[in-house]
Amino acid sequence: MSWHVSEEDLRAYARGELAPPGLWSADAHLTACARCRGVLADVSDPAALDAGWERLDAELDAPRPGLFESLLVRLGVADHIARLLAATPVLRGSWIGAVVALLVMTVVVANVGPSADTPTLFLALAPLLPLAGVALSYGPALDPTHEMAVVSPMHGFRLLMIRTVAVLVAGLGLNGLATLALPGYGLRALAWLLPALALTATGLALTPRLGPVLAPSLVGGAWITLLLAAEAAAGPDTEGPIAPFTATGQGVFAVVAALAVALLYAVRDGFDRAGGNAA
Amino acid sequence: MTPTVSASGLSLRYGGIRALDDVSLRLTRGVTGLLGPNGAGKTTLLRVLATAVPPDRGAFTVLGHDPGTPRGRQEVRRVLGYLPQAPGFHPDFTAFEFVDYVAILKELTDRGARHREVRRVLAEVDLGDVRGRRIKKLSGGMRQRVALAAALVGDPGFLVMDEPTVGLDPEQRMRFRELIAQAGEGRTVLLSTHQTEDVAMLCNRVVVLAGGQVRFEGTPAELTARAAGRVWSSTERDPGALAGWRTGTGSFRNVGDPPPGAELLDPTLEDGYLLTLDDAGAEVAAA
Repeated sequence: MSWHVSEEDLRAYARGELAPPGLWSADAHLTACARCRGVLADVSDPAALDAGWERLDAELDAPRPGLFESLLVRLGVADHIARLLAATPVLRGSWIGAVVALLVMTVVVANVGPSADTPTLFLALAPLLPLAGVALSYGPALDPTHEMAVVSPMHGFRLLMIRTVAVLVAGLGLNGLATLALPGYGLRALAWLLPALALTATGLALTPRLGPVLAPSLVGGAWITLLLAAEAAAGPDTEGPIAPFTATGQGVFAVVAALAVALLYAVRDGFDRAGGNAA
Repeated sequence: MTPTVSASGLSLRYGGIRALDDVSLRLTRGVTGLLGPNGAGKTTLLRVLATAVPPDRGAFTVLGHDPGTPRGRQEVRRVLGYLPQAPGFHPDFTAFEFVDYVAILKELTDRGARHREVRRVLAEVDLGDVRGRRIKKLSGGMRQRVALAAALVGDPGFLVMDEPTVGLDPEQRMRFRELIAQAGEGRTVLLSTHQTEDVAMLCNRVVVLAGGQVRFEGTPAELTARAAGRVWSSTERDPGALAGWRTGTGSFRNVGDPPPGAELLDPTLEDGYLLTLDDAGAEVAAA
Protein backbone atom coordinates (compact mmCIF):
# COMPACT_ATOMS: atom_id res chain seq x y z
CA MET A 1 0.00 0.00 0.00
CA SER A 2 1.45 3.33 -1.04
CA TRP A 3 -0.84 5.30 1.24
CA HIS A 4 -3.12 4.85 4.21
CA VAL A 5 -6.20 6.65 5.47
CA SER A 6 -5.24 9.13 8.16
CA GLU A 7 -6.37 8.39 11.70
CA GLU A 8 -8.35 11.60 11.71
CA ASP A 9 -10.26 10.48 8.61
CA LEU A 10 -10.76 7.02 10.10
CA ARG A 11 -12.27 8.57 13.22
CA ALA A 12 -14.59 10.66 11.02
CA TYR A 13 -15.38 7.52 9.03
CA ALA A 14 -16.26 5.64 12.19
CA ARG A 15 -18.57 8.47 13.25
CA GLY A 16 -20.19 8.44 9.79
CA GLU A 17 -19.03 11.99 9.21
CA LEU A 18 -16.54 11.49 6.39
CA ALA A 19 -17.96 13.13 3.26
CA PRO A 20 -17.50 12.13 -0.39
CA PRO A 21 -15.17 11.93 -2.23
CA GLY A 22 -12.96 11.15 0.80
CA LEU A 23 -15.57 8.65 1.92
CA TRP A 24 -15.37 6.79 -1.38
CA SER A 25 -11.58 6.64 -1.20
CA ALA A 26 -11.76 5.29 2.36
CA ASP A 27 -14.39 2.72 1.35
CA ALA A 28 -12.26 1.40 -1.48
CA HIS A 29 -9.06 1.45 0.55
CA LEU A 30 -10.48 -0.30 3.62
CA THR A 31 -11.52 -3.32 1.61
CA ALA A 32 -7.90 -3.95 0.65
CA CYS A 33 -5.92 -2.70 3.65
CA ALA A 34 -5.79 -4.79 6.83
CA ARG A 35 -3.69 -2.19 8.62
CA CYS A 36 -6.30 0.56 8.17
CA ARG A 37 -9.06 -1.83 9.15
CA GLY A 38 -7.12 -2.50 12.36
CA VAL A 39 -6.77 1.19 13.10
CA LEU A 40 -10.45 1.66 12.35
CA ALA A 41 -11.33 -1.07 14.84
CA ASP A 42 -9.17 0.65 17.50
CA VAL A 43 -10.81 4.06 17.05
CA SER A 44 -14.39 2.79 16.80
CA ASP A 45 -16.82 1.56 19.35
CA PRO A 46 -18.27 -1.84 18.35
CA ALA A 47 -21.76 -0.54 17.55
CA ALA A 48 -20.41 2.23 15.37
CA LEU A 49 -18.06 -0.24 13.70
CA ASP A 50 -20.96 -2.55 12.81
CA ALA A 51 -22.85 0.41 11.37
CA GLY A 52 -19.74 1.35 9.43
CA TRP A 53 -19.40 -2.12 7.94
CA GLU A 54 -23.05 -2.07 6.99
CA ARG A 55 -22.54 1.26 5.30
CA LEU A 56 -19.41 -0.01 3.58
CA ASP A 57 -21.32 -3.02 2.33
CA ALA A 58 -24.04 -0.76 0.93
CA GLU A 59 -21.49 1.58 -0.65
CA LEU A 60 -19.56 -1.20 -2.33
CA ASP A 61 -22.84 -2.49 -3.64
CA ALA A 62 -23.83 0.83 -5.17
CA PRO A 63 -22.76 1.51 -8.75
CA ARG A 64 -19.95 4.02 -9.11
CA PRO A 65 -21.21 7.43 -10.23
CA GLY A 66 -20.50 8.44 -13.82
CA LEU A 67 -17.81 10.85 -14.92
CA PHE A 68 -20.07 13.90 -14.87
CA GLU A 69 -21.42 13.13 -11.41
CA SER A 70 -17.96 12.39 -10.01
CA LEU A 71 -16.67 15.66 -11.43
CA LEU A 72 -19.51 17.61 -9.80
CA VAL A 73 -18.84 15.98 -6.41
CA ARG A 74 -15.15 16.75 -6.68
CA LEU A 75 -16.12 20.36 -7.39
CA GLY A 76 -17.95 20.42 -4.07
CA VAL A 77 -21.52 19.73 -5.23
CA ALA A 78 -23.47 17.57 -2.74
CA ASP A 79 -23.83 14.02 -4.06
CA HIS A 80 -27.64 14.12 -4.17
CA ILE A 81 -27.58 17.39 -6.12
CA ALA A 82 -25.03 15.85 -8.49
CA ARG A 83 -27.41 12.94 -9.10
CA LEU A 84 -30.26 15.38 -9.84
CA LEU A 85 -28.05 17.24 -12.30
CA ALA A 86 -26.94 14.02 -13.98
CA ALA A 87 -30.60 13.51 -14.84
CA THR A 88 -30.79 16.93 -16.53
CA PRO A 89 -31.10 16.23 -20.26
CA VAL A 90 -29.38 19.37 -21.53
CA LEU A 91 -26.31 18.80 -19.38
CA ARG A 92 -25.51 15.70 -21.37
CA GLY A 93 -22.56 15.61 -23.74
CA SER A 94 -24.61 15.80 -26.92
CA TRP A 95 -26.24 19.09 -25.95
CA ILE A 96 -23.02 20.64 -24.68
CA GLY A 97 -21.27 19.51 -27.87
CA ALA A 98 -23.91 21.12 -30.06
CA VAL A 99 -23.66 24.40 -28.14
CA VAL A 100 -19.86 24.40 -28.40
CA ALA A 101 -20.02 23.71 -32.15
CA LEU A 102 -22.50 26.54 -32.66
CA LEU A 103 -20.42 28.98 -30.65
CA VAL A 104 -17.22 28.05 -32.50
CA MET A 105 -18.90 28.65 -35.84
CA THR A 106 -20.28 31.98 -34.67
CA VAL A 107 -16.92 33.11 -33.33
CA VAL A 108 -15.24 32.12 -36.58
CA VAL A 109 -17.80 34.15 -38.55
CA ALA A 110 -17.29 37.12 -36.23
CA ASN A 111 -13.52 36.97 -36.66
CA VAL A 112 -13.27 36.39 -40.38
CA GLY A 113 -16.48 38.09 -41.55
CA PRO A 114 -16.78 41.64 -42.85
CA SER A 115 -15.44 44.14 -40.37
CA ALA A 116 -17.98 45.69 -38.04
CA ASP A 117 -17.99 47.51 -34.77
CA THR A 118 -19.97 44.80 -33.04
CA PRO A 119 -20.07 41.01 -33.46
CA THR A 120 -23.85 41.18 -33.89
CA LEU A 121 -24.36 37.56 -34.90
CA PHE A 122 -22.58 36.32 -31.79
CA LEU A 123 -24.39 38.77 -29.52
CA ALA A 124 -27.72 37.77 -31.05
CA LEU A 125 -27.12 34.05 -30.65
CA ALA A 126 -25.46 33.91 -27.24
CA PRO A 127 -28.56 34.89 -25.18
CA LEU A 128 -30.67 32.27 -26.96
CA LEU A 129 -28.50 29.34 -25.88
CA PRO A 130 -29.13 29.59 -22.12
CA LEU A 131 -32.79 30.37 -22.82
CA ALA A 132 -33.16 27.17 -24.80
CA GLY A 133 -31.03 25.16 -22.36
CA VAL A 134 -33.07 26.18 -19.33
CA ALA A 135 -36.37 25.68 -21.17
CA LEU A 136 -35.37 22.15 -22.08
CA SER A 137 -34.02 21.23 -18.66
CA TYR A 138 -37.40 20.99 -16.95
CA GLY A 139 -40.77 19.89 -18.22
CA PRO A 140 -42.33 17.01 -20.08
CA ALA A 141 -40.63 17.76 -23.41
CA LEU A 142 -37.22 16.30 -22.59
CA ASP A 143 -37.46 14.99 -19.04
CA PRO A 144 -38.94 11.49 -19.20
CA THR A 145 -39.46 11.41 -15.45
CA HIS A 146 -41.24 14.74 -15.28
CA GLU A 147 -44.53 13.32 -14.01
CA MET A 148 -42.78 11.38 -11.25
CA ALA A 149 -40.80 14.50 -10.32
CA VAL A 150 -43.90 16.67 -10.14
CA VAL A 151 -45.64 14.44 -7.59
CA SER A 152 -42.54 14.07 -5.42
CA PRO A 153 -42.21 16.02 -2.18
CA MET A 154 -39.34 18.08 -3.59
CA HIS A 155 -41.02 21.25 -4.86
CA GLY A 156 -40.92 21.59 -8.64
CA PHE A 157 -39.58 25.11 -8.35
CA ARG A 158 -36.61 23.91 -6.31
CA LEU A 159 -35.75 21.27 -8.89
CA LEU A 160 -36.17 23.86 -11.62
CA MET A 161 -33.83 26.27 -9.86
CA ILE A 162 -31.18 23.60 -9.25
CA ARG A 163 -31.18 22.72 -12.92
CA THR A 164 -31.43 26.34 -14.04
CA VAL A 165 -28.37 27.36 -12.07
CA ALA A 166 -26.42 24.42 -13.48
CA VAL A 167 -27.50 25.10 -17.05
CA LEU A 168 -26.75 28.81 -16.66
CA VAL A 169 -23.31 28.08 -15.24
CA ALA A 170 -22.57 25.77 -18.17
CA GLY A 171 -24.19 27.97 -20.82
CA LEU A 172 -22.83 31.29 -19.61
CA GLY A 173 -19.42 29.67 -19.07
CA LEU A 174 -19.31 28.51 -22.67
CA ASN A 175 -20.47 31.90 -23.87
CA GLY A 176 -17.74 33.46 -21.74
CA LEU A 177 -15.09 31.23 -23.30
CA ALA A 178 -16.37 32.18 -26.74
CA THR A 179 -16.11 35.84 -25.76
CA LEU A 180 -12.42 35.34 -25.00
CA ALA A 181 -12.01 34.36 -28.64
CA LEU A 182 -13.17 37.85 -29.65
CA PRO A 183 -10.48 39.98 -27.99
CA GLY A 184 -10.74 42.71 -30.60
CA TYR A 185 -14.15 43.78 -29.37
CA GLY A 186 -13.19 44.29 -25.74
CA LEU A 187 -16.04 44.61 -23.27
CA ARG A 188 -18.55 45.05 -26.09
CA ALA A 189 -18.33 41.32 -26.67
CA LEU A 190 -19.92 40.83 -23.23
CA ALA A 191 -23.12 42.61 -24.24
CA TRP A 192 -24.89 39.24 -24.47
CA LEU A 193 -24.85 38.65 -20.72
CA LEU A 194 -27.70 40.87 -19.52
CA PRO A 195 -29.97 39.95 -22.45
CA ALA A 196 -29.24 36.29 -21.71
CA LEU A 197 -30.33 36.67 -18.10
CA ALA A 198 -33.38 38.74 -19.07
CA LEU A 199 -34.51 36.29 -21.75
CA THR A 200 -34.00 33.24 -19.53
CA ALA A 201 -35.82 34.74 -16.54
CA THR A 202 -38.67 36.02 -18.72
CA GLY A 203 -39.05 32.67 -20.46
CA LEU A 204 -39.27 30.89 -17.11
CA ALA A 205 -41.65 33.44 -15.61
CA LEU A 206 -44.08 33.00 -18.51
CA THR A 207 -43.85 29.20 -18.51
CA PRO A 208 -46.54 28.45 -15.89
CA ARG A 209 -49.07 30.40 -17.96
CA LEU A 210 -47.94 29.67 -21.54
CA GLY A 211 -46.28 26.28 -21.20
CA PRO A 212 -42.68 25.10 -21.56
CA VAL A 213 -42.62 25.31 -25.36
CA LEU A 214 -44.61 28.44 -26.18
CA ALA A 215 -43.09 30.67 -23.48
CA PRO A 216 -39.40 30.35 -24.49
CA SER A 217 -40.37 30.31 -28.18
CA LEU A 218 -42.21 33.61 -27.82
CA VAL A 219 -39.38 35.15 -25.83
CA GLY A 220 -36.80 33.97 -28.37
CA GLY A 221 -38.97 35.24 -31.21
CA ALA A 222 -39.37 38.61 -29.50
CA TRP A 223 -35.59 38.85 -29.10
CA ILE A 224 -34.96 38.21 -32.80
CA THR A 225 -37.74 40.63 -33.78
CA LEU A 226 -36.23 43.28 -31.52
CA LEU A 227 -32.80 42.83 -33.08
CA LEU A 228 -34.17 43.03 -36.63
CA ALA A 229 -36.14 46.15 -35.74
CA ALA A 230 -33.10 47.74 -34.11
CA GLU A 231 -30.95 46.86 -37.13
CA ALA A 232 -33.52 48.37 -39.50
CA ALA A 233 -33.86 51.49 -37.37
CA ALA A 234 -30.10 51.97 -37.26
CA GLY A 235 -29.74 51.78 -41.03
CA PRO A 236 -26.82 50.37 -43.01
CA ASP A 237 -24.52 53.34 -42.56
CA THR A 238 -24.79 53.65 -38.80
CA GLU A 239 -21.59 52.97 -36.93
CA GLY A 240 -21.49 51.40 -33.50
CA PRO A 241 -23.71 48.83 -31.86
CA ILE A 242 -27.45 48.59 -32.38
CA ALA A 243 -29.74 49.74 -29.57
CA PRO A 244 -29.91 46.53 -27.47
CA PHE A 245 -26.12 46.53 -27.13
CA THR A 246 -25.74 50.15 -26.14
CA ALA A 247 -25.44 51.23 -22.50
CA THR A 248 -29.10 52.25 -22.47
CA GLY A 249 -30.18 48.97 -23.99
CA GLN A 250 -28.16 47.04 -21.45
CA GLY A 251 -29.78 49.01 -18.65
CA VAL A 252 -33.22 48.10 -19.97
CA PHE A 253 -32.28 44.42 -20.01
CA ALA A 254 -31.02 44.65 -16.44
CA VAL A 255 -34.40 46.03 -15.36
CA VAL A 256 -36.28 43.40 -17.39
CA ALA A 257 -34.16 40.65 -15.81
CA ALA A 258 -34.89 41.93 -12.29
CA LEU A 259 -38.63 42.22 -12.97
CA ALA A 260 -38.74 38.76 -14.54
CA VAL A 261 -36.97 37.21 -11.56
CA ALA A 262 -39.53 38.84 -9.23
CA LEU A 263 -42.38 37.54 -11.40
CA LEU A 264 -40.81 34.08 -11.52
CA TYR A 265 -40.71 33.94 -7.74
CA ALA A 266 -44.35 35.05 -7.57
CA VAL A 267 -45.51 32.26 -9.90
CA ARG A 268 -43.27 29.55 -8.42
CA ASP A 269 -46.20 27.34 -7.42
CA GLY A 270 -47.06 27.04 -11.12
CA PHE A 271 -44.14 24.61 -11.44
CA ASP A 272 -45.69 22.30 -8.89
CA ARG A 273 -48.25 20.72 -11.19
CA ALA A 274 -48.10 18.66 -14.36
CA GLY A 275 -51.31 19.47 -16.15
CA GLY A 276 -51.18 21.34 -19.39
CA ASN A 277 -48.55 23.87 -18.46
CA ALA A 278 -45.10 24.07 -17.06
CA ALA A 279 -45.16 21.30 -14.64
CA MET B 1 -63.27 0.10 7.71
CA THR B 2 -62.03 3.68 8.07
CA PRO B 3 -61.34 5.27 4.69
CA THR B 4 -57.74 6.30 4.06
CA VAL B 5 -58.53 8.28 0.91
CA SER B 6 -61.79 10.21 0.55
CA ALA B 7 -62.81 12.18 -2.53
CA SER B 8 -65.93 14.25 -2.93
CA GLY B 9 -67.34 15.85 -6.10
CA LEU B 10 -64.13 15.76 -8.16
CA SER B 11 -64.66 17.33 -11.57
CA LEU B 12 -62.17 18.24 -14.25
CA ARG B 13 -62.50 19.41 -17.85
CA TYR B 14 -59.80 19.11 -20.49
CA GLY B 15 -60.71 21.57 -23.21
CA GLY B 16 -64.34 20.80 -23.94
CA ILE B 17 -64.21 17.26 -22.56
CA ARG B 18 -65.53 16.45 -19.12
CA ALA B 19 -62.86 14.00 -17.97
CA LEU B 20 -64.18 13.72 -14.41
CA ASP B 21 -67.77 14.47 -13.49
CA ASP B 22 -68.62 14.71 -9.79
CA VAL B 23 -66.53 11.73 -8.72
CA SER B 24 -66.82 10.72 -5.07
CA LEU B 25 -65.18 7.64 -3.59
CA ARG B 26 -63.69 6.24 -0.42
CA LEU B 27 -60.67 3.96 -0.41
CA THR B 28 -59.55 1.72 2.43
CA ARG B 29 -56.43 -0.37 3.06
CA GLY B 30 -55.84 -3.08 0.50
CA VAL B 31 -55.97 -3.05 -3.28
CA THR B 32 -58.84 -1.22 -4.98
CA GLY B 33 -59.24 -1.85 -8.69
CA LEU B 34 -60.28 1.01 -10.95
CA LEU B 35 -61.98 -0.48 -13.99
CA GLY B 36 -63.19 1.37 -17.04
CA PRO B 37 -62.95 1.48 -20.82
CA ASN B 38 -60.48 3.72 -22.66
CA GLY B 39 -61.41 7.36 -22.14
CA ALA B 40 -63.39 6.63 -18.97
CA GLY B 41 -61.28 9.07 -16.94
CA LYS B 42 -59.18 6.53 -15.05
CA THR B 43 -55.83 8.16 -15.74
CA THR B 44 -57.24 11.61 -15.04
CA LEU B 45 -58.61 10.45 -11.68
CA LEU B 46 -55.27 8.88 -10.78
CA ARG B 47 -53.37 12.03 -11.77
CA VAL B 48 -55.70 14.13 -9.64
CA LEU B 49 -55.33 11.84 -6.61
CA ALA B 50 -51.56 11.79 -7.15
CA THR B 51 -51.61 15.64 -7.03
CA ALA B 52 -50.20 15.94 -10.56
CA VAL B 53 -53.19 18.02 -11.67
CA PRO B 54 -55.72 19.91 -9.53
CA PRO B 55 -59.45 19.27 -9.98
CA ASP B 56 -61.65 22.10 -11.22
CA ARG B 57 -64.10 21.31 -8.43
CA GLY B 58 -64.26 18.97 -5.47
CA ALA B 59 -61.83 17.99 -2.77
CA PHE B 60 -60.05 14.94 -1.40
CA THR B 61 -57.86 13.87 1.47
CA VAL B 62 -55.11 11.26 1.59
CA LEU B 63 -54.29 9.74 4.97
CA GLY B 64 -55.72 12.85 6.61
CA HIS B 65 -53.82 15.36 4.45
CA ASP B 66 -55.62 17.91 2.29
CA PRO B 67 -53.71 18.66 -0.95
CA GLY B 68 -55.67 21.88 -1.42
CA THR B 69 -52.84 23.86 0.18
CA PRO B 70 -49.12 23.78 -0.77
CA ARG B 71 -48.21 22.37 2.65
CA GLY B 72 -50.96 19.76 2.53
CA ARG B 73 -49.95 18.84 -1.00
CA GLN B 74 -46.40 18.25 0.12
CA GLU B 75 -47.63 16.06 2.98
CA VAL B 76 -49.71 14.00 0.53
CA ARG B 77 -46.67 13.59 -1.68
CA ARG B 78 -44.65 12.36 1.28
CA VAL B 79 -47.04 9.43 1.71
CA LEU B 80 -47.55 8.81 -2.00
CA GLY B 81 -46.07 6.24 -4.35
CA TYR B 82 -46.95 6.82 -7.99
CA LEU B 83 -46.47 4.54 -10.95
CA PRO B 84 -47.69 6.44 -14.02
CA GLN B 85 -49.11 4.79 -17.12
CA ALA B 86 -45.92 5.18 -19.13
CA PRO B 87 -43.16 5.64 -16.57
CA GLY B 88 -40.20 7.45 -18.10
CA PHE B 89 -36.60 6.58 -17.36
CA HIS B 90 -33.29 8.22 -17.91
CA PRO B 91 -31.99 5.50 -20.21
CA ASP B 92 -28.35 5.89 -19.25
CA PHE B 93 -29.09 5.32 -15.58
CA THR B 94 -28.76 1.91 -14.02
CA ALA B 95 -31.73 0.53 -12.10
CA PHE B 96 -29.98 1.54 -8.88
CA GLU B 97 -29.21 5.06 -10.10
CA PHE B 98 -32.77 5.63 -11.28
CA VAL B 99 -34.35 4.52 -8.02
CA ASP B 100 -31.69 6.54 -6.18
CA TYR B 101 -32.71 9.58 -8.25
CA VAL B 102 -36.37 9.13 -7.28
CA ALA B 103 -35.32 8.65 -3.65
CA ILE B 104 -33.62 12.06 -3.76
CA LEU B 105 -36.81 13.60 -5.14
CA LYS B 106 -38.52 11.98 -2.14
CA GLU B 107 -36.24 13.95 0.17
CA LEU B 108 -33.87 11.11 1.13
CA THR B 109 -30.71 13.15 0.97
CA ASP B 110 -28.51 11.19 3.38
CA ARG B 111 -26.43 8.99 1.11
CA GLY B 112 -26.12 5.96 3.37
CA ALA B 113 -29.78 5.83 4.39
CA ARG B 114 -30.84 6.44 0.82
CA HIS B 115 -28.72 3.65 -0.60
CA ARG B 116 -30.03 1.23 2.01
CA GLU B 117 -33.58 2.17 1.02
CA VAL B 118 -32.78 1.75 -2.69
CA ARG B 119 -31.36 -1.71 -2.01
CA ARG B 120 -34.42 -2.61 0.04
CA VAL B 121 -36.98 -1.68 -2.62
CA LEU B 122 -34.98 -3.25 -5.45
CA ALA B 123 -34.82 -6.47 -3.44
CA GLU B 124 -38.55 -6.19 -2.75
CA VAL B 125 -39.30 -6.26 -6.50
CA ASP B 126 -36.71 -8.99 -7.00
CA LEU B 127 -34.27 -6.86 -8.96
CA GLY B 128 -31.38 -6.97 -6.54
CA ASP B 129 -29.24 -8.92 -8.97
CA VAL B 130 -29.60 -6.51 -11.88
CA ARG B 131 -29.38 -3.26 -9.96
CA GLY B 132 -26.17 -2.29 -11.75
CA ARG B 133 -27.57 -2.92 -15.22
CA ARG B 134 -28.54 0.02 -17.42
CA ILE B 135 -32.30 0.46 -17.76
CA LYS B 136 -32.15 0.42 -21.55
CA LYS B 137 -30.80 -3.15 -21.31
CA LEU B 138 -33.68 -4.39 -19.14
CA SER B 139 -36.81 -6.15 -20.43
CA GLY B 140 -40.21 -4.43 -20.33
CA GLY B 141 -41.23 -6.41 -17.26
CA MET B 142 -38.04 -5.52 -15.44
CA ARG B 143 -38.44 -1.84 -16.29
CA GLN B 144 -41.93 -1.93 -14.89
CA ARG B 145 -40.53 -3.45 -11.70
CA VAL B 146 -37.92 -0.69 -11.54
CA ALA B 147 -40.76 1.83 -11.73
CA LEU B 148 -42.59 -0.03 -8.97
CA ALA B 149 -39.43 -0.02 -6.85
CA ALA B 150 -39.21 3.75 -7.35
CA ALA B 151 -42.85 4.10 -6.28
CA LEU B 152 -42.17 2.06 -3.14
CA VAL B 153 -39.28 4.24 -1.96
CA GLY B 154 -40.05 5.63 1.47
CA ASP B 155 -42.70 2.99 2.20
CA PRO B 156 -45.66 5.12 1.02
CA GLY B 157 -49.05 4.62 2.62
CA PHE B 158 -50.92 5.36 -0.62
CA LEU B 159 -49.80 3.70 -3.83
CA VAL B 160 -51.28 4.77 -7.18
CA MET B 161 -50.66 2.52 -10.19
CA ASP B 162 -51.89 3.27 -13.68
CA GLU B 163 -52.31 0.13 -15.80
CA PRO B 164 -49.04 -1.43 -14.67
CA THR B 165 -49.67 -4.80 -16.32
CA VAL B 166 -50.22 -3.44 -19.84
CA GLY B 167 -47.66 -4.72 -22.31
CA LEU B 168 -46.39 -7.52 -20.08
CA ASP B 169 -46.38 -11.12 -21.23
CA PRO B 170 -48.49 -13.59 -19.18
CA GLU B 171 -45.58 -14.73 -17.02
CA GLN B 172 -44.44 -11.18 -16.29
CA ARG B 173 -48.04 -10.21 -15.59
CA MET B 174 -48.40 -12.95 -13.00
CA ARG B 175 -45.11 -11.94 -11.39
CA PHE B 176 -46.22 -8.32 -11.29
CA ARG B 177 -49.56 -9.26 -9.78
CA GLU B 178 -47.73 -11.00 -6.95
CA LEU B 179 -45.76 -7.82 -6.35
CA ILE B 180 -48.92 -5.70 -6.34
CA ALA B 181 -50.58 -8.05 -3.86
CA GLN B 182 -47.47 -7.84 -1.68
CA ALA B 183 -47.46 -4.04 -1.95
CA GLY B 184 -51.12 -3.95 -0.92
CA GLU B 185 -50.39 -5.43 2.48
CA GLY B 186 -50.77 -2.66 5.04
CA ARG B 187 -51.22 0.17 2.59
CA THR B 188 -53.88 1.66 0.31
CA VAL B 189 -53.36 0.78 -3.34
CA LEU B 190 -55.40 2.17 -6.23
CA LEU B 191 -54.83 0.08 -9.32
CA SER B 192 -56.16 1.29 -12.65
CA THR B 193 -56.71 -1.46 -15.19
CA HIS B 194 -58.99 -2.53 -17.98
CA GLN B 195 -58.33 -6.19 -17.29
CA THR B 196 -60.95 -7.78 -15.08
CA GLU B 197 -58.54 -10.63 -14.28
CA ASP B 198 -56.33 -8.12 -12.45
CA VAL B 199 -59.26 -7.12 -10.28
CA ALA B 200 -60.49 -10.66 -9.73
CA MET B 201 -57.06 -11.82 -8.60
CA LEU B 202 -55.87 -8.81 -6.61
CA CYS B 203 -58.56 -6.48 -5.36
CA ASN B 204 -60.74 -6.42 -2.29
CA ARG B 205 -62.65 -3.41 -3.66
CA VAL B 206 -63.51 -2.24 -7.17
CA VAL B 207 -64.64 1.05 -8.69
CA VAL B 208 -66.04 1.19 -12.23
CA LEU B 209 -65.61 4.49 -14.01
CA ALA B 210 -67.29 5.38 -17.31
CA GLY B 211 -67.80 8.76 -18.92
CA GLY B 212 -65.96 10.39 -16.04
CA GLN B 213 -68.49 9.13 -13.48
CA VAL B 214 -68.40 6.39 -10.87
CA ARG B 215 -70.79 3.67 -12.04
CA PHE B 216 -70.08 1.11 -9.34
CA GLU B 217 -68.24 0.98 -6.05
CA GLY B 218 -68.12 -2.19 -3.97
CA THR B 219 -66.49 -5.57 -3.71
CA PRO B 220 -65.63 -7.76 -6.71
CA ALA B 221 -68.27 -10.23 -5.44
CA GLU B 222 -70.91 -7.49 -5.51
CA LEU B 223 -69.93 -6.52 -9.05
CA THR B 224 -70.12 -10.17 -10.09
CA ALA B 225 -73.53 -10.51 -8.41
CA ARG B 226 -74.90 -7.78 -10.68
CA ALA B 227 -74.83 -10.35 -13.48
CA ALA B 228 -76.63 -13.07 -11.53
CA GLY B 229 -79.41 -14.47 -13.71
CA ARG B 230 -78.24 -12.42 -16.72
CA VAL B 231 -75.70 -14.81 -18.27
CA TRP B 232 -76.80 -17.79 -20.34
CA SER B 233 -75.51 -20.34 -22.78
CA SER B 234 -76.81 -21.01 -26.30
CA THR B 235 -75.74 -22.89 -29.37
CA GLU B 236 -75.98 -19.76 -31.57
CA ARG B 237 -75.29 -16.15 -30.69
CA ASP B 238 -78.46 -14.77 -29.15
CA PRO B 239 -79.43 -11.60 -31.09
CA GLY B 240 -81.18 -10.28 -27.98
CA ALA B 241 -78.01 -10.39 -25.91
CA LEU B 242 -76.03 -7.25 -25.10
CA ALA B 243 -72.84 -9.21 -25.76
CA GLY B 244 -72.15 -12.77 -26.77
CA TRP B 245 -69.05 -14.72 -27.65
CA ARG B 246 -68.13 -18.27 -28.55
CA THR B 247 -66.37 -20.12 -25.75
CA GLY B 248 -63.84 -22.90 -25.90
CA THR B 249 -66.59 -25.53 -25.80
CA GLY B 250 -68.15 -24.12 -28.98
CA SER B 251 -71.28 -22.78 -27.27
CA PHE B 252 -72.05 -19.07 -26.96
CA ARG B 253 -71.93 -17.18 -23.69
CA ASN B 254 -74.50 -14.39 -23.70
CA VAL B 255 -74.89 -11.46 -21.36
CA GLY B 256 -78.05 -9.38 -21.05
CA ASP B 257 -81.68 -10.22 -20.42
CA PRO B 258 -82.07 -13.96 -21.04
CA PRO B 259 -85.02 -15.40 -22.94
CA PRO B 260 -87.44 -17.65 -21.03
CA GLY B 261 -86.03 -21.10 -20.41
CA ALA B 262 -82.43 -20.08 -21.13
CA GLU B 263 -79.65 -22.18 -19.65
CA LEU B 264 -78.27 -19.79 -17.04
CA LEU B 265 -74.56 -19.74 -16.21
CA ASP B 266 -72.64 -18.63 -13.15
CA PRO B 267 -71.65 -15.01 -13.68
CA THR B 268 -68.06 -13.75 -13.62
CA LEU B 269 -66.62 -10.38 -12.71
CA GLU B 270 -66.31 -9.58 -16.41
CA ASP B 271 -70.05 -10.20 -16.91
CA GLY B 272 -70.85 -7.80 -14.07
CA TYR B 273 -68.47 -5.23 -15.52
CA LEU B 274 -69.98 -5.48 -19.02
CA LEU B 275 -73.50 -5.04 -17.65
CA THR B 276 -72.42 -2.07 -15.54
CA LEU B 277 -70.91 -0.41 -18.61
CA ASP B 278 -74.07 -1.13 -20.57
CA ASP B 279 -76.22 0.40 -17.83
CA ALA B 280 -73.92 3.44 -17.86
CA GLY B 281 -74.29 3.71 -21.65
CA ALA B 282 -78.05 3.52 -21.36
CA GLU B 283 -78.02 6.29 -18.75
CA VAL B 284 -75.93 8.52 -20.98
CA ALA B 285 -78.20 7.81 -23.95
CA ALA B 286 -81.31 8.59 -21.88
CA ALA B 287 -79.77 11.86 -20.71
